[in-house]
Amino acid sequence: MDNINVLIVEDTQEESDALVKVLTENNYNIAGIARTYQDALTLFYQKEIDIVVIDVFLDGKPDGITFAETINIVPNSVKPFVFLTSSKDRQVFERAKLTKPFSFLLKPFNELEILYALEMAVEKFYGQTNAFHSEDQNAVVSNDSLFIKKNKSLKKVQIRDIVYIEVEDRYCNIITETEKFVILISLTKIIQLLDPSEFFQTHRNYIVNASKIEEIIVNDNLIVLKGKHKVTLSDKYKDFVKHFRVLK
Amino acid sequence: MIKVKCYFVLIFLLIQLFAFSQLKPSNDDAFNTEIKLKTKEFKEQVNFSIAGAFFLQEKWDSTLVYSMKQLSDANANTEIMNYCHYFRAISFRNKKLLNEAKKEFNRISNDFKFYHKVKSLLGEIALEQNEFKKALSYFKEIEKYSASKNSTLKGNNVLHDIGLCYLHLKEFDKAEEYLFKSAHEHEAEKDTLMLIGSYVDIANLYYEQYKDSQAIPYFEKAYHLSKKVKSFELKQNATLNMAVVEENRKNFPLALTYRKEYETWKDSLNDQNKVWEIAEVEKKFAVKQKQKEVNVLAAENKAKIAERNGFLISSVLLFVLLGTGVYFYRQKIRNNKIILAQKNELDELNATKDKLFSIVSHDLRSSVNALKTSNGKLIQNLESKNYTELDVLLHKNSSIASGAYNLLDNLLNWALLQTKQGYFYQESLHLMRIVEHVEYNYKPLMLNKNIEFKSNVSASDYVFADLDSLKIIIRNFLDNAIKFSKENGTISIYSRPSSEEFCYLVIEDTGLGMNEATRKELLKETILLSKKQNDDIIGTGLGMQLCKSLIRKNEGKLDIESEENVGTRIIIALPKFKNHG
Repeated sequence: MDNINVLIVEDTQEESDALVKVLTENNYNIAGIARTYQDALTLFYQKEIDIVVIDVFLDGKPDGITFAETINIVPNSVKPFVFLTSSKDRQVFERAKLTKPFSFLLKPFNELEILYALEMAVEKFYGQTNAFHSEDQNAVVSNDSLFIKKNKSLKKVQIRDIVYIEVEDRYCNIITETEKFVILISLTKIIQLLDPSEFFQTHRNYIVNASKIEEIIVNDNLIVLKGKHKVTLSDKYKDFVKHFRVLK
Repeated sequence: MIKVKCYFVLIFLLIQLFAFSQLKPSNDDAFNTEIKLKTKEFKEQVNFSIAGAFFLQEKWDSTLVYSMKQLSDANANTEIMNYCHYFRAISFRNKKLLNEAKKEFNRISNDFKFYHKVKSLLGEIALEQNEFKKALSYFKEIEKYSASKNSTLKGNNVLHDIGLCYLHLKEFDKAEEYLFKSAHEHEAEKDTLMLIGSYVDIANLYYEQYKDSQAIPYFEKAYHLSKKVKSFELKQNATLNMAVVEENRKNFPLALTYRKEYETWKDSLNDQNKVWEIAEVEKKFAVKQKQKEVNVLAAENKAKIAERNGFLISSVLLFVLLGTGVYFYRQKIRNNKIILAQKNELDELNATKDKLFSIVSHDLRSSVNALKTSNGKLIQNLESKNYTELDVLLHKNSSIASGAYNLLDNLLNWALLQTKQGYFYQESLHLMRIVEHVEYNYKPLMLNKNIEFKSNVSASDYVFADLDSLKIIIRNFLDNAIKFSKENGTISIYSRPSSEEFCYLVIEDTGLGMNEATRKELLKETILLSKKQNDDIIGTGLGMQLCKSLIRKNEGKLDIESEENVGTRIIIALPKFKNHG
């Protein structure tokens, strides 16, 4: 499980310091702090970023919005972002609102508010509203990562690292090659969100990452995965074998 | 020579006689009333009544047309058919189409009420066509009929006609007998015209038999009677007869005078004709003149109509102009009223704003002043290294600063709300999380005041509200709750079971509470700021106003439950987020 990488675009030293303090305390990884629009762009494309926190006004100009607009142009590389602003001026908001999905945080803010804002940004960005706050879910699935709310902060897991998922009531056990943890999400939901060409259901309770399969023992109804994990293959889901080229 | 003349006269007279007999039937009053009755009786037979009406007006062509229509109607009963045939026969006869008339008469069935009339008319036609024997047979029949009934029939005519027939058939004895009978009846009826005819006929009868001595008195009688009547033709005939008679008696001077008299009658007849012609011409001229006048009048009328239309259009235009004028005038008045009302409102608002301004600045001034004096004490204590006092002072300063900050924040939000400059976007919000965010800032404060805090907001409540305004609302009420709470009090935030439409958030304290009057005052929808009653703890009322406005803007509701010295419960109802499953 990895920490979330945050890029801070903030021109005031004090405010960025406060932000860094709060975020690091909550196990976020600060990928960089940009003071200007140009810096922000450079950092954004250089580093691996998960979320961007953008101050609307950089040096008195609404460059923060311009930055958001710029990264919005390339749809594939855009990441969730949160605007910070001390002004509720409607004109600024009308412009900022056009950079969808739009989430913002008014200054001054406390620890809870900034953490909430980050979670909201992720939820909105991946179109899974109320994912972190409902009673039966605490994870958001994107194309390459699984964002999981752990205590007050967010964590992420690379989807390609997942070996298999085991469902237990309302929970899912996520098993990677190195660790094992529990998230709160329903099976039907997670199977919808995962790429169907990579993940297959093999049993009522198992979802398997196809790339991690080492051996399928059809007679024993068994699938052997990397790390010697063994998963049951039920009759109902045997069809998935057809997806592989079988040597005879 | 004489004989020739006699015949000439005779023929002349015969034609004359027919003229009389023609007039008679159509003007028969009894018959006409009968027709009127019949047309009334058969009112629904439209063609029949029209035909009857035309018949009475002696418009023969029209009578023919409508009676034909009536006849072509198969439904008609025999009575109507008979009348129609009768109308047609009379019409044909009057148009001199005697054979047609005869045919029509023959079509009438014998049970027709006026059948005897039909016979007599047939007889007359026969007489006219010189079929004397036939005529005689018709007349004889009628004579018999009249002998039996002798009521409606004008026997004299028939008698006369029979006489004529015999005369033509040279049966002079019988002719004489009938003519005398006829003459006697005419005398009895004092019908002068017919009487003259009868006398002339009798005279002719005798003349024909060369009984001049008997003939002449009748000629003379006829002549004398003719002087009393107006008919020129009769006078002319009578005079001519006298002239012929005198000529035959070789009494030429007398004959001459008669001739001359005859000529004068003839002339006067001609004159009459001429007068008629002139009258006709004059009439035509007059008609032309009238036509001209009519044309002129028509032209005038046209001009008048054009003028009237012009007037009409211009008046309509004027009216429309007036209407729009009035409309705009009224609009202006209305606008003025609106402007006046707005001005009053603005004045009021401005007064409120001024008041707000003064209160706020007073508050800020005292806050800053307190900071100033406190800072002075701080410096003193720092110099004397009294660190315990320093800590107390710093906490005091921080609370003053945060109070001032809250006031300024409310002021800013109020200004944004009033000028509608603020960003407002309603979305689904997790109520518990938002409450958590707000209470986070107040926890140290409550700890400081030793207030027990309980938070129990339902995790399943999602409200549809603007995030920032919701925070402002909760912040203000929480702030108030702390402000009005005593040391060791309790503040709890919890949700009441939500209804279909609303989620209810309750902020409860065990503070001062308020009386009913204040409670009502607070819930009133006024923008007036409450007066300061207690310098220390009761603020400007701006926060309360701001909360009420924001709740209203979020389509929520506010309620207060309070008891003095027991505590206050603020109940905020916020619209539920409905799309959430």
